[in-house]
Amino acid sequence: MKRPSASRRQFLGGSLAASAGLAIGSPVPGPWMQALASDAVGGERILVVIQFSGGNDGLNTVIPYSNEEYRKARPKLAIPKNDVLKIDDELGLHPSLAGASKLLERGRFSIVQGVGYASPNRSHFESMDIWHSCRRKEERGTDGWLGRWIGSRASDKQTDSLGLHLGGDQQPLALAARGVQVPSIASVDQFRLKIADEGMSGNAMLSNKSTDTETKSDGDDLLGFLQASTEAAVAASERLEKALKTPDTQSEFPQTDLGEKLRVISRLILAGLSTRVYYITLDGFDTHSQQAVAHAGLLRHWSDALDAFVRRMERAGQADRVLVMTFSEFGRRVQENASEGTDHGAAAPVFFAGCSLPKPVIGELPSLTDLDDGDLKFHTDFRSVYATVVEQWFKDKSKQVLGESYPKINLL
Amino acid sequence: MMQVTRLDEVDPDWAWQPWEPSAQEPWDRKRAALLLRRSGFGATESEIQAALQKSPAASIEQMLQTEGEATEQFEVESADLAASLVAGGEAKSLSIWWLHRMLHHPQQLVEKMTLFWHGHFATGAEKVLDPGLMLDQNKLLRKHAFGDFRAMVHGIAKDPAMLIYLDSVTNRKAHPNENFARELMELFCIGEGNYTEADVQQLARCFTGWEIRRKNFRFNPYQHDSGLKDVLGTEIETGEAAIDTVLSHKKVPYFIVRKLFHFFIGDEPSPTDALLRPLADQFASDGLVLEGMIKKLLGSRLMLSNWSMARKVRSPVEMAIGLMRTMQMTSNLDQLSNRLREVGQALFFPPNVKGWDGGRAWVNSSTLVGRANLIYQLIRDDKTRFANGSFSDWLQSQKLSDPDAFLDWFSTMFLAVPISDSQRMSLRSSQDGKSEDRMFREMICLMAAMPQFQLS
Repeated sequence: MKRPSASRRQFLGGSLAASAGLAIGSPVPGPWMQALASDAVGGERILVVIQFSGGNDGLNTVIPYSNEEYRKARPKLAIPKNDVLKIDDELGLHPSLAGASKLLERGRFSIVQGVGYASPNRSHFESMDIWHSCRRKEERGTDGWLGRWIGSRASDKQTDSLGLHLGGDQQPLALAARGVQVPSIASVDQFRLKIADEGMSGNAMLSNKSTDTETKSDGDDLLGFLQASTEAAVAASERLEKALKTPDTQSEFPQTDLGEKLRVISRLILAGLSTRVYYITLDGFDTHSQQAVAHAGLLRHWSDALDAFVRRMERAGQADRVLVMTFSEFGRRVQENASEGTDHGAAAPVFFAGCSLPKPVIGELPSLTDLDDGDLKFHTDFRSVYATVVEQWFKDKSKQVLGESYPKINLL
Repeated sequence: MMQVTRLDEVDPDWAWQPWEPSAQEPWDRKRAALLLRRSGFGATESEIQAALQKSPAASIEQMLQTEGEATEQFEVESADLAASLVAGGEAKSLSIWWLHRMLHHPQQLVEKMTLFWHGHFATGAEKVLDPGLMLDQNKLLRKHAFGDFRAMVHGIAKDPAMLIYLDSVTNRKAHPNENFARELMELFCIGEGNYTEADVQQLARCFTGWEIRRKNFRFNPYQHDSGLKDVLGTEIETGEAAIDTVLSHKKVPYFIVRKLFHFFIGDEPSPTDALLRPLADQFASDGLVLEGMIKKLLGSRLMLSNWSMARKVRSPVEMAIGLMRTMQMTSNLDQLSNRLREVGQALFFPPNVKGWDGGRAWVNSSTLVGRANLIYQLIRDDKTRFANGSFSDWLQSQKLSDPDAFLDWFSTMFLAVPISDSQRMSLRSSQDGKSEDRMFREMICLMAAMPQFQLS
C-alpha cells in the first residue's frame, strides 16, 4: 500500500490522512492533494467562461441599427435607433449594455460575429452538448473541450484544481475530463462539511477498498467515480475556506447571482488560487415570448457584473491575465414570433472581455436576407474561437483539445 | 443460471424473463431491499420481511394496488394537506405534500412512477407560479402513472401548467410558437435526431389556438391554423391527430422503455435497442399501456440480478426518503424540502424542460458536501422521531444497540456496497467515550459522507 506523500499529509492534516487509509489508487486530482503553494498572486493566464443558457438573441444584443431588414423582421422587438449604444455606423449595443460599452471604449471588450457550426441543431440540449464537446451526438465521448485541455495539463505542478465550476446547476459537459474530477460548487458559504465542526472529517469515510466488493465489469464504475468526487469535494472545501478567509473590501459587485459568482471568482484569483478555468452560467435566454423586458434584464445583469469584474482585476493589476468568454448554444430566429418573442436560431456572436482586446468587432454580421431556414448563417466555426483561446491565450496546442486544426481568429 | 458481467453481452430473451432465486442469487433481505428501494423509496425491516414471504412478482403486484382501507384513509389526510398548502399560494410548499406521500403512501410504486413522469414531462413552478395548476398536473401524472401513455400525452398537451411552461398559450396562427411542438418530439415521445426541423415547424401549426381560459384548456378556432400540415410524413390537421401521429412513430416504445431502464435498473451504460426489444414490443402490443411492461421490467432477471446492485446514483429525494423509511423516521418536511433544493432536487422545480438527468449528474463537490450536511441536519433536527419515539428507544426495540450489529443491519438494508473494514474502523474509532445516542447519530452522519451512501 502506497503511503500518502508528505505534502499530501500536510495538506490533509497528518493524523487524519494516516488513520483514514485514504483512497489509494483512485483516479483523482493530484493537484488538490498537493501542499499549498505561496499565497502570492501567480502569473498564469486565466479563462472565465460565462454560458448564456437558452439561446441568446444575438441580433438584439449587437444591433444592426441602420439595417432595414432588421426592422422589418422585428416589428415589435427592434431596438430603436436612438437607444442603441453605437459602436460604428452600422452596429450598436443593446441599451442595457452600458458596462460592456465602457469596456469596449477602453479596449477591453470584443465581439466575434457570426459564430456557429454546419448543419445547426436547434435543440437546446443537443446544441449545448455540441458547443461543450465539439462533437456531434454520434461520436460524442464523455469529455468536453475544457476537460480535454485540463487533462492535457494534468502533469502540471499545480496546487489547485485547474478548473472550477461555480453554480447550483449541474456540471457543464465542457469541463468533464477523463481521470480528473473538476469541482462544482453551488455556494462557497455552504461548502463545508458540518461534521467537521465536531472534529470529524469526511476524509475518514473515503476508503472503500473492501475485500467483498463485487467485481464490476462495465467500464468505469460508479463507485470509483463517487470515490474520486468525494475526495475532490473534501479537498476543495478545505482549500476554498482558506482562500476566502480574508474579506475583500474593495469590490463593488452588483447584488445579482452573476455578480456574486464573479465576485467570488475575483476573490479566488486575488487569493492566488492556481485555477485557470472558471465556469459560470446565466440562464433564462429562451425568450419565446415577451422577450423585450426579460432580455434587457439578463443583458444588464451580465454587463454590470462583467464591468465590475474587469474593473476589480484592473485595480489589482491583474486584468491582462484574465480573459472572459461569453457564449450561448445558438442565436434566435431573425423573424420575431407572434408572442413578442423569438424561436431557436443558429449563428450568433461570442463575446470577450478582460485583457487588452484591440478589435471591438471581429467578422461581419451575417446577411439578414440570405438565411438558413430562417436563421443567420455562420461564417466562423465556434471551434476556431476555441482554437484561438487554446493557442493564443493558453499557448497550448489546440488539435488534441479540438480533434482537428481550425483557423485562428484575430482576437488578441 | 447466467451471471451478468457486461450489459452488451446479455441475451434479450433471457433478460426479461421472471427472476427466480438461485444459489448465487437467493431471495434474501439484501435483494428484497434492492427491489423495494428501486420500485419505491426504501423499506422498513417488517416490509422487507413481508416481501420475503412472497415472490417478487407478488410484491410488485401489491405495490400497484390503488385501493384498500389504508389507502383510502391516507388519501383523505393527503388531500387535506394539499388543500391547505394550495391555499397558502406558494408552489414551493407543495413539495411538503409530495414528500409526505412518498414517506407514507402504502403503494410506493405509484409515487415512484409519478416522480418519473414529473421528470419526464418536466414543468417548473417558477414559470407556472400557480400551485393549484402544479397540483392538478401532478394528479394527472399520478392517474396515468402506469396506465395509458397515450392518454397521458393527450392530457399533458392540454394541461394548463404545461401550456404555460412551454409557451403554448401564446401559440397563434400568424406566428406559431415552436416550444411545445419541439419538446413533444424531442423530450416526451421520440427523442432527438428522429425528426426534422420542418416537422417541428409543421407540428407547431397544429397546436395554434390551444389556450387557457380561467385556468382551463380552451380551443380558440380564431387563432388556429386550420390548413393541412405534413408531420413525420403524414398529412393531418388537428393537434389531437398530431399527437397520435407522433405516438405512432416506431421509436416511441424504445424511447420510453430506455428511460425506464435507466430509472429503475442502471444509470449506465445505455442498453442497446436489441436488449430493450422484448420490453418495447410488449409496450407497443399493449397499445402503449404501461403496466404490463413495467411489471415485466421490475420482476425481471436483469432487474434483480447482482449486476443491477450499485448501478444507480440515488437522487436526493431517494436518499433522504429512503433513509427515513428504512429507519421509520418522521421529521420537519418543510426543512427537508429546502435542503433537497440545495442538493439539486426541488420537487415541482425541475432544472429545465429536460428534467433531472440523473446518474452522475447528481454528483459534484457541492452536492456531495450538501448531501452529508442534509443527513446531518435531518439526524440532528429536534423534530426528527424514530417510529414516533426517541432514537435510542428505536435502536433498542430493533435490537440494534450494538454498534456492529447496527452497521451490519444498515449495510444490508440501505447500502448496495458493503462498508469496508477500514471504513468500519474509522466509524468505530471516532466514537470512544461518547453517549450511545450521540455515537449512533454520528455514525450515520459519517456514513452519509461515504461514496457508497450515494449508490442504490
